[in-house]
Amino acid sequence: MSEPSTWEREGAARSFQPGDWYAVLGPHVVVLLPPSQRQRAAATWSAVDAGAGFDEVLDAVLADGLRGLPAFALVGRRDPARSAVTALLRGPVRASFTADGETVAVDGDAAVTWVERTFATVQEMVLVAEPVAAGPQLPAGDGLVRVSRLQQPAAAAVPEPLPEPLPEALRVPEPEPEPAPQEASGLDLVEELLTEPVVVLPEPDDLPPVPPPAPGGAAVPPPPPFPPPAFDADQAGDHDGLTETGRGPAVEPSPATSRPVARLAFSHGETVDVDRPVVIGRAPEARRFEPHDQPRLVTVPSLHQEISATHVEVRPGAGADHGLAVATDLGSTNGTVVVQPGLGPEELRPGIPVQLLPGAVIDLGDGVTVHVTNP
Amino acid sequence: MTAVELHHGAASDVGLVREVNEDSYLATPPVFVVADGMGGHDGGDVASRIVVEEFGRLATNGYDPEHGAAVIAETLQACQGRIVEYAAAQRARGATGFRAGTTAVVAMLVEDAGTPQWLLANLGDSRAYRFRDGELDQVSVDHSLVQELVDSGAITEADAAVHPERHVITRALGVPEHRNDARADYFLLPLPSAERLLLCSDGVSGMLEAAEIAEILGRLEDPRDAADAVVAAAVAAGGRDNATAVVVDVVGLVRQDAYDAERQRGSLEEKLGALP
Repeated sequence: MSEPSTWEREGAARSFQPGDWYAVLGPHVVVLLPPSQRQRAAATWSAVDAGAGFDEVLDAVLADGLRGLPAFALVGRRDPARSAVTALLRGPVRASFTADGETVAVDGDAAVTWVERTFATVQEMVLVAEPVAAGPQLPAGDGLVRVSRLQQPAAAAVPEPLPEPLPEALRVPEPEPEPAPQEASGLDLVEELLTEPVVVLPEPDDLPPVPPPAPGGAAVPPPPPFPPPAFDADQAGDHDGLTETGRGPAVEPSPATSRPVARLAFSHGETVDVDRPVVIGRAPEARRFEPHDQPRLVTVPSLHQEISATHVEVRPGAGADHGLAVATDLGSTNGTVVVQPGLGPEELRPGIPVQLLPGAVIDLGDGVTVHVTNP
Repeated sequence: MTAVELHHGAASDVGLVREVNEDSYLATPPVFVVADGMGGHDGGDVASRIVVEEFGRLATNGYDPEHGAAVIAETLQACQGRIVEYAAAQRARGATGFRAGTTAVVAMLVEDAGTPQWLLANLGDSRAYRFRDGELDQVSVDHSLVQELVDSGAITEADAAVHPERHVITRALGVPEHRNDARADYFLLPLPSAERLLLCSDGVSGMLEAAEIAEILGRLEDPRDAADAVVAAAVAAGGRDNATAVVVDVVGLVRQDAYDAERQRGSLEEKLGALP
C-alpha cells in the first residue's frame, strides 16, 4: 500500500489566477465551467455547497444535458475516505497531476464526450482553462470564483491508513470510515457533514411538491387567497426604461444559495427574506430577468402615489457584496433613501447598488419603510 | 379564497402567401404558448409543435408555481434537445441542409407567497402584449436584428417595421448555431396590470399597427372573438406570413381604481364638459 497523500487538508490551500471560467470549489471536488455556463455554475455550487459527493456533483453539472456544455472539468475523490482522485475533462481544459515526482498531463479535447482518468494518489494538480494572464496566484478556499488557472498543491503526505477492505456484506454504509489520524480542523466538520444523508437537488430544499393537475384544466394550481394589489392606471407611464429589473448591475452571478442574507420587515407588516431578488413597489413588475433569478414582487401601499409602481430592488449581493443584501433604486420617480446604522440618510442613485447593513432602514416615501435585519 | 379564472381564445391562419402553417399554439389554462416555426414543411411546423407538446405536458401534469421561471427554462431546454435531435435525424436520413427551428412566447400563471402572477417568457420575435385601459403595451422584447438596431439607436421603431431584414431573429430554439442563445427573457406581471394578454406570431405584429390591434382588443369583449378578429385582420392586411393569436383574460379580479386614475378621469371629464 502506497502512502496516500491527503487531497484536501488545512494548509493545502488552492491557488488560482483570475479569469472568466467558473470554478466551483468544494472540500472534495473542484469543477471548472466555461464563462457561458453561468446557470450551471450556480446549480453546481448549490450542490457542492450542500455537500454533494462526486457523482452527485457530476449529475448537477450534467443536469441540463451534455450537448449545451462545450467544456468542463470535474476533479475529486469519488470516495472521500480514499485517496484516489478521479478527473473528468471535456473540451479545451488541460490538467496535470503529479504524484511521487511523476507528472501526467490530461487534455479534455482528446475525447468526444469526456476524458476520464483516476489516479491512486495525487500530490499536486494544475487545471488550465484558458490562456493565463500574468499575475499573482491568489489563495482560494471553498466557494465560487472565476479563474483561468487553478492549482491545488498537496501538503506533506500524511499517513492515512486505508481501512482494510471488508467483504461487501459486512460494510456498513453510514457513517463513512473517517481517515484515522486527521488532526482536528474545520475539515472534520465538513467530513462529518458529508457522512449525513445529502439532498442533492440544486434547488432550495423548501421546494414544494409539484401540484396535481388543475381540475379540468380550468384554472390555476391551488387557488390561493388573493388580495388584489392596488390597480392604477398611470402605471404604464412608469416604464421609463430604468424600471427594468432582474438585470441588476451585478455582473457576477448571485450566489445560488437558498440561505437568506437579510430579512426585510415592512412598515405595513409584511416580512420577506432576501434569498433572491425582491422587487418592491406600488404595483411591481420584473422585466427581462434570468430563470434562476426569479424575483419576489412585494406590493406596498402608497396612498399618495409617491411610490413608483416598480421602485426599488433588494437582492443578495455578489462578489464583494457576497453575504450581504444590496439595494438598488430602479429609477423611481421620488427616489429611495437609506439610513445605515450610525450614519445619516443617503439617497440612492438609480441603478447603483448599495450594501445594506443589518439595522439599515429603507424609506420609499409615503410612510413606507423597510427595516433590514439579520435573517 | 379567490380562484383565478381565465378566459381565452386562440386563432391561427396560414395567411395568403405561405403554403404551410408553421405556427403552433397552446391554450390550456394556466399555460399559453405561441410558437412560430422555421424551416419549411416537416421542419418549422414540427419544431413549433414540439414546443406546444412540451408545454402542454406542464398544463396537464402541473408544475411548481413557486419556481415558474426554472420550470419554463427546463421545458425550453427539453424542446431544444428534441428539435435538434429531430433535425439531426432528418439530415441522417438524407435531407441535406435540413433545418428546423422555432420561436416561443409563453404565458404561465405562477404564484409567489400565495399571490398569482403572470410569468412571461419569450425567445425570438413572437410577442407578448398586455392590453388595459385601451392601451396596448408590448411586454416582450424581440430577439431580432432590427430590435438590436433599434436598441443601439441605429434605426427607429418605424424604420424597423419596414427594414428588409426585419425577419432575422437572433435567438431561437433548435438552431444549432444559436445553441447558446436558446435562453429566454422572463417577465413577471401582477395580474391586475395584465387583465388581457395577447400572445402572437410576427404574422400578426408585422402586419398590423399597434393601434389596430388595440382597437380590436378594446372592441371585442369575448377573447375568442378578439383572437379571431386579430388573425382575420392580419390576413386581410396582406397575410404575408402565418398569423397566430392567443388572447387570455383574467376575470373576476376586484379592480380598485387608484386615486390618481380617478382624479385624471375626473379632470378629463371636466375638460370635456361632461361635468359641471
